[in-house]
Amino acid sequence: MTGPSGDYWELYVSKTALPAWREGHAGERSDTQTYFDLLQLPFMIVSALWSSIVFPLLRVVALLPFAVVRGRRSRAVRIEAVNTFPTREVLLWTTTDGLVEGVLDDIVAGLAAGKVVQPVGAVYSGAQRD
Amino acid sequence: MRILPRLKAFARDGVPLHDLGSVRGVGSDAYDLVDGLPRGPARVAAWNAYVLQTYGDKLIAASETTERVAVDTAHVAGAAYQLAGMCLDCARQLATEGAEASLANVPDALPHWHTPIRSHEQLVGMRETLEALRIYAAFDLQTFPADDPSTVAMLELLAAVDADLATVDLLWIRRPPAELRGGIGDVLTRGLDKAFELGRLLADRRS
Repeated sequence: MTGPSGDYWELYVSKTALPAWREGHAGERSDTQTYFDLLQLPFMIVSALWSSIVFPLLRVVALLPFAVVRGRRSRAVRIEAVNTFPTREVLLWTTTDGLVEGVLDDIVAGLAAGKVVQPVGAVYSGAQRD
Repeated sequence: MRILPRLKAFARDGVPLHDLGSVRGVGSDAYDLVDGLPRGPARVAAWNAYVLQTYGDKLIAASETTERVAVDTAHVAGAAYQLAGMCLDCARQLATEGAEASLANVPDALPHWHTPIRSHEQLVGMRETLEALRIYAAFDLQTFPADDPSTVAMLELLAAVDADLATVDLLWIRRPPAELRGGIGDVLTRGLDKAFELGRLLADRRS
């Protein structure tokens, strides 16, 4: 849906909170290291790939089944409004499965009017910007 | 014997309940005293003691085990018990010495949590406290004429407490995630502050 200032929001409703993508710190150069050794380059590339892709991916794959099971056992529902331009911004509300339709209507009406609403049957957790 | 809750309490580094033993009973007379005093400063202090003692007792009662409680629960319940004892002493002083004693040492708010997310047991304790205070205040409010302007203001405060309880009812589910527990905790905290204030107004009101 589109807000009054032209900002485009995508709304996602789900019962599962996906595990966060958390990158490690391997491969970062320390401030005290002033020289650059060419022999270290392959190790640095492997280390960077490990910490920024392989390790976070393994972590997500390992935690995903638990997140899905937890979501299916709970009556809680997450509503995320995502705006990707000019910077990615995610607004999160949490409600229950019996109230989700009314809460979703309130959120859509609010965003259409350029407001971030806080419906009675939901908890607004705030905005997350990348 | 419930093994799982006891293991969870140990894993969470809970506080042995007997550590609170010395302060738990300090304010227990508050349950009777608040009804026995005429409206005025002494009753305000007794109301404070009643609220704080109720809060501490409900938080402890809502814990999963009878031997240990979570660290933050023990912290808030312990503070509530200590303040209840102070309020009770003040109420007795005011009842016997009248104007010579003062309400200066009586707290005007409940002890608050230092973390944003409440556990399910803490929410149960807070909710039961709010329901108990709401019932007491609503019953007390019935003794005043409904058309009096100050009664109208207090009825509005009671309606706000009811609205908070209704919001909690809407959000109350089994296994709530942290986001929902945080929101319920905020609503309950606001409701408790309102009920506390309503009781103080009622206790100080002259008919």
